[in-house]
Amino acid sequence: MLEIKNLHVKLAEEDKEIIKGLSLTVPKGEVHAIMGPNGSGKSTLAYVLAGREDYVVTSGDILWNGESILEMEPDERAAKGVFLAFQYPMEVPGVAGLTFLRTATNSIRKKRGQAELTTPEFMKVVKERASKLNIDVEMLKRPVNVGFSGGEKKRSEILQMAMLEPTLCVLDETDSGLDIDALKIVSEGVNALRSPDRAMLVITHYQRLLDHIVPDRVHVLAHGIIQRSGGKELALELEKSGYAEFQGKAA
Amino acid sequence: MNVAIMKTKAEQALSEQFERVAAKLPGGAAVAEARREAIGKFTALGLPSRRVEEWKYTDLRNVLKEPLAVGVEDEAKLTVADLIVALGPLAHLDSVRITFVNGRHRRDLSNLDGAEGIEVASLGATLTSAQDKVGSALARTTGPENDAVLALNTAYMTDGAVVRVGDGVTLGKPLLIVNLRAGAEGRFVATRNVISVGKGASATIVEAYVGLPGSTAEGQHNAATELSAGDNAKVTHVKIAADSGKATHLSNWMVGLGAETDYRGFQLTQGTGLARNQIFATYHGEGAKLDVSGLFLGRASEHIDTTLVVDHAVPHCQSRELFKGVLDGEARGIFQGKVIVRPDAQKSDGKQMAQALMLSPDCEFSSKPELEIYADDVVCGHGSTAAELDNDLLFYLRARGIPLAEARSMLIESFAGEALDRIEHEGVREVAAEFARGWLAKLGK
Ligand SMILES: Nc1ncnc2c1ncn2[C@@H]1O[C@H](COP(=O)(O)OP(=O)(O)OP(=O)(O)O)[C@@H](O)[C@H]1O
Ligand SMILES: [Mg+2]
Repeated sequence: MLEIKNLHVKLAEEDKEIIKGLSLTVPKGEVHAIMGPNGSGKSTLAYVLAGREDYVVTSGDILWNGESILEMEPDERAAKGVFLAFQYPMEVPGVAGLTFLRTATNSIRKKRGQAELTTPEFMKVVKERASKLNIDVEMLKRPVNVGFSGGEKKRSEILQMAMLEPTLCVLDETDSGLDIDALKIVSEGVNALRSPDRAMLVITHYQRLLDHIVPDRVHVLAHGIIQRSGGKELALELEKSGYAEFQGKAA
Repeated sequence: MNVAIMKTKAEQALSEQFERVAAKLPGGAAVAEARREAIGKFTALGLPSRRVEEWKYTDLRNVLKEPLAVGVEDEAKLTVADLIVALGPLAHLDSVRITFVNGRHRRDLSNLDGAEGIEVASLGATLTSAQDKVGSALARTTGPENDAVLALNTAYMTDGAVVRVGDGVTLGKPLLIVNLRAGAEGRFVATRNVISVGKGASATIVEAYVGLPGSTAEGQHNAATELSAGDNAKVTHVKIAADSGKATHLSNWMVGLGAETDYRGFQLTQGTGLARNQIFATYHGEGAKLDVSGLFLGRASEHIDTTLVVDHAVPHCQSRELFKGVLDGEARGIFQGKVIVRPDAQKSDGKQMAQALMLSPDCEFSSKPELEIYADDVVCGHGSTAAELDNDLLFYLRARGIPLAEARSMLIESFAGEALDRIEHEGVREVAAEFARGWLAKLGK
């Protein structure tokens, strides 16, 4: 279970508070969606979950499976099952996709006490999971994300997720930049990972994604806090009314 | 000006030892005369100091204070097994090899079996037996007139490789020219390679400057290579200077390119206390392509300077340079790249890039690109960056479970890899990469 308790987050570089007392619980086996206006702090929340240094938690706590992750390094969190699919996946020049995936997969397996995959084992798994996401393995010989289209980058994030088998999946606008077919493929990939011991937090602007990945709960994040929570019908309602009602509703 | 400047001990030693060793230096009367002239020039010039514009970042006069004995003989007792140890990753390169120890040809450590269509001789032996005309040709360089380091090379060169690749010949294996530093005493050693690659010929030539483990950390190698490539030749020319001590490495490459040649030069420099790599490349025929790139790795108080001049003397030639450096500790990296486009050299196309990865707050990188363009229809560009490891990328890798140390080395390796990728010959590239990995593995240790 993910428990975010009265979280306050500011920028490391300046004295600007972005998350202002946010509380949220996502039980295992559930998918929760977060929607909200641009600049409301959705990506910030996602980064804080993954342990990015640019943000400082000034108060509150984040528990994953009952354990606070705030003091953990990003790689430790990843080993504990935390995975963030980036809104803007980064290009890593000079590091081949396969090398990257293999190093990541084996680092995590090692930390989780699983045997590392040999090259043939690894290749077999990658090929199988890549093909489900309609990713050509040839593409993975290129440097990570370099020269990839927007949609290809998003699919490559989901492949990483499939390889690392996380238990807390945070998807930051994975749908943006995907064409209609890719949206279906990626959603299927995500749905395949739904399981009783996984929790998912799906950040999106569009109700369309939630037709494919049907959420258990929908939360509206504005001005750094959860303004409203509801069932999947809340997404439909927002589609019609927008975020006007949350304007100026700072904490 | 001509203010009398006090000679340093090192300068005095370099000038004064000449008379003592002159008789032992190879060559007939014409060569002896060229040497005498060169030492005269050196004595007048002194070691380059920061007052000399080209040397403003590398003040040799100030750095090379200690006098070293000029090496004219090699008494090192070495076996092939020792050589293999010293060669490190290069030992695995499938190549033909000519070896010099402390500036002396060692037939017993060379292996030129299977070198067909190529003549490889010792410069020392060639100078000794050559007629005056040949001798003085070998003593001449196309490098700058008033370069003190080059003058020292002419004055003191003891040996080196004289290589001739016949017209139309394709070398099956790379030619490896090994320069090994060995012994308990630091010395001044000067060697020169004279390489000519015939028309339409294709060759891969690797120069290696390595130290025998267990030898003194001191020493100074003054190396020069004069390379000319005939029309339509394809040349890969790589220098690996990978020492383990504080030794000084001073190198000059003079490269002349015929029409339609494809020249790919690369220099890897690591483990040198002080390195100055000068490269002078001139196009003599149209349609030639040149790529001179390199990787320099510096730690502690090491100092690595690359200074190159590419002269587009004729139209329709292309030049590319990519130099990358990884600097740690208080290391200092310097890149000076000058591209000259002569008035007639229309359609010249030059691109230059120098990048340093700064791993510590105390390292330093100075970059001075210069374009001297006298033609109007040209495309020339240059750039230079100095940056720390990208924290965002580190985060991305760590968010995927890769521990910090490993994430760092992945990013450093990938940075260096972009330079190494300029080496087209796969075997040579792999050797250079292995040297670099060996160096990187010791970072922070
Ligand atoms: N590293 C940073 N430096 C400066 N400002 C930042 C930084 N990170 C976030 N912010 C600011 O914090 C606020 C929240 O940004 P965040 O990216 O979390 O929004 P978001 O809800 O994800 O928006 P979007 O829907 O556009 O993706 C914005 O005003 C943003 O400019
Ligand atoms: Mg965002």
